[in-house]
Amino acid sequence: MLQHKSRIVVILLTMVCLIFGARGAALAKGPMNQLQVAVDEIMEILQSNELKGTDQKEKRKQLVLNVVVDMFDFREMARSSLGPSWNDLTAEEQDKFVGLFTSLIEERYIGKIDSYNNQKVIYKKERIKGSMAIIYTAIVDNELEIPIDYKLKEDQGKWLIHDLKIENVSLIANYRRDFDGILRKEQFAGLVKKIEEQLENSKHQN
Amino acid sequence: MHHLMTKKNISFAGSIALLFLFFSVIHAWAKVDDTVVPSMDVRAEEIFVAGASASDAEEDDWIDEDSWDEEWEDEELIADPLEPLNRLFFHFNDKLYYWVLKPVARVYSGVFPVEIQIAVRNFFDNLRAPTRAVNCLLQGRVQNSSQEVVRFALNSTVGIFGFGDFARDVLGLNSSNEDTGQTLGYYGAGGGFYINWPFLGPANFRDSIGMVGDAYLHPFIFLDVDWEVTVGAWALEKVNYTALTLGDYELFTETALDPYAAVKDAYQQYRKGLIENK
Repeated sequence: MLQHKSRIVVILLTMVCLIFGARGAALAKGPMNQLQVAVDEIMEILQSNELKGTDQKEKRKQLVLNVVVDMFDFREMARSSLGPSWNDLTAEEQDKFVGLFTSLIEERYIGKIDSYNNQKVIYKKERIKGSMAIIYTAIVDNELEIPIDYKLKEDQGKWLIHDLKIENVSLIANYRRDFDGILRKEQFAGLVKKIEEQLENSKHQN
Repeated sequence: MHHLMTKKNISFAGSIALLFLFFSVIHAWAKVDDTVVPSMDVRAEEIFVAGASASDAEEDDWIDEDSWDEEWEDEELIADPLEPLNRLFFHFNDKLYYWVLKPVARVYSGVFPVEIQIAVRNFFDNLRAPTRAVNCLLQGRVQNSSQEVVRFALNSTVGIFGFGDFARDVLGLNSSNEDTGQTLGYYGAGGGFYINWPFLGPANFRDSIGMVGDAYLHPFIFLDVDWEVTVGAWALEKVNYTALTLGDYELFTETALDPYAAVKDAYQQYRKGLIENK
């Protein structure tokens, strides 16, 4: 009898675990969880002993990029960084610009990621409003908390980053101002040339 | 800055500081009196939580649907009548970074481990506690202000001249980043035109006036420390900061198309965020 009872308890417990486990998996689809999973993945790559050292730099970079590409909506970011001028471009020009913009962002963030030294990321809170969300995080660098906020939009169950603010400086707004000055003086062709030159320079430096 | 100081100014600054200290001590006592506080730890946590929830209440328009789709609307453009001169100074500071600051900071960080660099940063940061305390108070943030006073008192003593951040590490008392420029902004002063100072870097008209205010609230100035020492300390702080953030400046400027314009905009956004206390 006692054995029977304990078996029921075990079954009940298993069921409870299953139900809550499934609920947990459903919750994991929230924007903050998705971001956390991706960031953890990047950290794992950066902390991996097999991938340490300068000779592994390219491989490490590629692995990180594979994760990063799935986190950001580069096309939307590129469009937004260009402002109204985006609509004046042909479809081919738009595609070309998205490619260049993506490389520029990768250059900036891969460069930063490469100096990663076991900094801790704190996930503070998320605010969701329909298909949009903001996630407030901070990275602890040399005992100093640097706030990083992500703006995301949901696309078929997947939350993609549309902008990020580091210490309140929005990446997209900053690039928009930067690009705007060049577009005014040198139009789209001048902008493309400038980005290509910049990417060429950073290739030489690395 | 040294020649600006007269005896009268010093005693004026001194009496303000004393009055202020008196006020915050009274305030801190009053707080302890009307609540039964089991331990210092809990109190510190309370203050911290109170501060956090206050900022939670502020809505962030970054998420608003309207601003989401109308992002292309021109944000207020910072006036830059001095652009040619500013660009010249930007170029000067850029060269100063690559030719002087960076090589020196590299050697420095080879000699001193990160722990020392953090302690040096804490030391200089602690010296700005009076500035932060006064400006918190001027913005009506009484709690943050007394917190700064407690931080200054504890970190200067238990934290050994401010090298350690005892108040943060043990009591969870965080510092609030306030300065005179932000106070002027709090009372509605616009930024005015952009100024890129040689050595000091990006600023605007309002924050340049703020920098003078901050200087008057700095212990080095109101204790009338020799200007050679003040300049030396400033240079050390700059080198120490560069050592802790090596690579950040390069990365930002090398992935911007017009670094001058990008820095100008980043400065504006950064200051706006600080004034709104986001």
